[in-house]
Amino acid sequence: MPDLIIDGRAISVPKGTMVIEAAERLGIMIPRFCWHKALGAAGACRMCAVKFVAGPVKGLEMSCMTLAADGMVVETFHPEAVAFRRSIIELLMVNHPHDCPVCDEGGHCLLQDETISGNHVQRRFPGRKRTYLDQDLGPFVQHEMNRCIHCYRCARFYQDYCGYRDFGPMQNANRVYFGRFEDGPLENPFAGNLADLCPTGTLTDKPARYTSRRWDCERAPSVCLHCSLGCNVTVLSRYRRVARIEARDNEAVNGSFICDRGRFSAGYEAIPERPRAGLADGRPVPVTEAVAAAVSRLAALAESHGPGSIAVVGGLRSSLETQAALVALAGAAGWRAPAFFGSRQEQAATKAALAALTPARARSLAELGQADAVLVLGVSPLYDAPMLALALRQASRAGAKIIVADPRPVALPLPFSHLPVAPRQLPAVLAVATGQPDQAAAEAQKRLPFSPELWPVLEDAARALAAARRPALVFAPGLAASLPDDDRLGLFPVLPAAGSAGAALLAPDDAPGLDELAAGVAAGRIRGLLVAEADLFTAAPELAALLGSLDALVVLDHLPTPTVAAAKVFLPTATIFEAGGTLAASDGRLQTAAPVQPPGDPVVRDGRGSHPPRAYDRELPGTDPAPAAFWLGEISQGLGQKAPRSPLAAVMAGLPALAGIDCSRLPDAGLRPAFAGPRPDTAPPAPLVAEAGLAVVYDEALFATDDPGRYAPLALAQTAASPVILLHADDAASLGLADAMAVAVGCGDRFVPAVVRLSRAMARGVLVVPRLPEFAGLPPILGPCGLRRR
Amino acid sequence: MLPEALEKELHRIIAAVPRPREAAVDVMYALQHHYGYLCDEAMHYAARVLGMTTLELESLATFYDYLYRQPVGRYVIHVCDSVVCWMFHQDSIFDYLCRTLGVPPGGTSEDGLFTVLPAACIGNCHNAPTMLINGRFYDRLTPERIEAVLAELRQGIEEPVRCK
Repeated sequence: MPDLIIDGRAISVPKGTMVIEAAERLGIMIPRFCWHKALGAAGACRMCAVKFVAGPVKGLEMSCMTLAADGMVVETFHPEAVAFRRSIIELLMVNHPHDCPVCDEGGHCLLQDETISGNHVQRRFPGRKRTYLDQDLGPFVQHEMNRCIHCYRCARFYQDYCGYRDFGPMQNANRVYFGRFEDGPLENPFAGNLADLCPTGTLTDKPARYTSRRWDCERAPSVCLHCSLGCNVTVLSRYRRVARIEARDNEAVNGSFICDRGRFSAGYEAIPERPRAGLADGRPVPVTEAVAAAVSRLAALAESHGPGSIAVVGGLRSSLETQAALVALAGAAGWRAPAFFGSRQEQAATKAALAALTPARARSLAELGQADAVLVLGVSPLYDAPMLALALRQASRAGAKIIVADPRPVALPLPFSHLPVAPRQLPAVLAVATGQPDQAAAEAQKRLPFSPELWPVLEDAARALAAARRPALVFAPGLAASLPDDDRLGLFPVLPAAGSAGAALLAPDDAPGLDELAAGVAAGRIRGLLVAEADLFTAAPELAALLGSLDALVVLDHLPTPTVAAAKVFLPTATIFEAGGTLAASDGRLQTAAPVQPPGDPVVRDGRGSHPPRAYDRELPGTDPAPAAFWLGEISQGLGQKAPRSPLAAVMAGLPALAGIDCSRLPDAGLRPAFAGPRPDTAPPAPLVAEAGLAVVYDEALFATDDPGRYAPLALAQTAASPVILLHADDAASLGLADAMAVAVGCGDRFVPAVVRLSRAMARGVLVVPRLPEFAGLPPILGPCGLRRR
Repeated sequence: MLPEALEKELHRIIAAVPRPREAAVDVMYALQHHYGYLCDEAMHYAARVLGMTTLELESLATFYDYLYRQPVGRYVIHVCDSVVCWMFHQDSIFDYLCRTLGVPPGGTSEDGLFTVLPAACIGNCHNAPTMLINGRFYDRLTPERIEAVLAELRQGIEEPVRCK
């Protein structure tokens, strides 16, 4: 632990800390451009010079390139250092266009800050400025090279940190240019971070361009809803519309970055189609009337047919508050517990995946980045949980071996071994890879007899995992029952949606699956349905088909789903941007999202593009939405229940893993509950036998396959015109299908058009289908007539 | 289509190193010799055989002085534009060349024969002022000597390499 003195204050830092970081711990921000805590030092900008007056290093040195050492005495305000930094910023500003009034970075610009910090106030250089031609870098990042100061942060992030190779430095000396070989969209699905990283206005957030100044925005810490990882974000809202989303530091989860899905999938909160008014029998009514209608219909049904005639459906994009309110409402009314998952089996698997995360075995996303061997099972990191791919990339850069077993073709920006096995073979892969390495060869031959090409890969995987000091397992919930009982092996589950973990934590063990509800409705046992923030047409198409036969259908939502269209009574709910809430990430970590904007039509629509009406006695339009938990509380009161003040606290108090946690006072990094370990009674899911056809595997895309993202205009604009399904080339040959052929996929009683693409990097006997609403009704095994040429 | 001999040569260069990217500059140099400069077609071909992206190759090609991403004349004159050569200038050799050939810095003469480029030291200080033309040094330059060199090069009989 080196001890040093910075500006007269003593500090002790861990070995390997740079002086610039040591100073930061004292709250001293040494000016910098190229240094970034996630990227380290490049020594490119010379801005962080400080004076070393005593100790092993003497004189003027770069604080980002100098390791803190015992006996160092550092003066950041030494006249020599101040003069040096003033010259550097003057030099960096020589070619800068000084276009701050029209620059989107203005107001949160490091170059502005450091110009002030260096006290550069007068331009002395009379010569011409160097200028560049800009490139079109696609829909997300705006290029403005004249503002560049050549700190290399973008290139280091893009190529080294992320592993993409289509953007980087060109030319030399004073002409250095950061860009692509030619105009075109950036290939990196994390490219949006360039806008956060760039210390100038060279690379800025293109969709947010010219919408707002940062200081004019309402800002709040939030949590991303677009996959299960729970990355931390800062939401910026302007005029009741989300203007921009930025990464928010959380060292345990996403570090300093987020993926482009999380950054560019907002906008659903402001679409004109968003239902903002209460409805009863298809006509708009005041929300109080809608609540009364919901209460009277549910009460009448319970009266005439008993409480068993009412079922509740919860969503996987809701906050814990909403999910807990549903559990509390159903419990107090004596209805059956809310259904969150497709089946009881799916719910049990998700619960088991979380229960396995004992303090010794649970890994955070950041810890995965430090693992030295990772086996990924049933997860395609880049699309199921994009930031996971970035964590694996960091592990791989440090030398970790990455093995991915998944039926889909897998793309990752790092070297890895892919085991393209069918879903039913994943438990076998897990058993062989985590078993004894000297028996791996024999076990692989025994358990996967028809895949000789996988045997050597599995043997390698078993050896790498056995030799690793910090091995980790990333798994889909279906494998929870097959996890080996080995405390050395860290665990990190990836779940289907942002609210999956919350639902699994809060749902009672006897909660039915959506399949059971469908059977109940078909048999006439269930006559009323209360649906909160779930779309039955994607989550349970069989149930959605029966909605017409219900006596009461009460829906609460903020997205214009077909379920909302079918509702008899509708209550508009607030989005996470308006309501905030607690969310559980896939590793069970509880985190808080703060509300950022009030509900209400965005100003741009209220004023039809101009200034809104100047009538001050007028009520703001579209302000009816309220948090779903609030509406559920109103319904609960209407039904005469004595509702607890906080249903979440009440429900959590009854759960061993969550009892005693106060969700209103969570630490900044979130809180991971201490789970007790897997329950012995969890049975592995029955494997599907795919002899009769193709096993259907759903695949995520980067954009618009998640539930709120599907309603975000910008995310939707990134999707392909025609859905693409994937088939192994040999399977396609036996079916008489060729690459790029137009096909129809049998989905219930209708056929969905799609284009088939062939691949050899995927499992045999599997059909990979994008997770789109039109494919929601596919059977788990697609029969021989299910796929035909069009 | 590249001549078969060149393709073979490129594959030989790549096979001689442990990782293809180590041969990037040599491959681009060989392609430049064939095309006359590194046109986009050459860059895409190099990217394909080396397994690199065109951006990575562009980073290299635009960094190095002797890889040309724009068409150049048959003779590329790298005039030393560094301290020692300045000290020995009676007149600016660089200006003289530009004036004589009627080109701006970096330009190519109308007959397509000469391109004039400044170079930051070509390591021939003991013979300053100096220049480098197609790999050959010309020492202790004076305006008269430059005229003689240009006249000699104009007499060259080889067919100049032309770019598409």
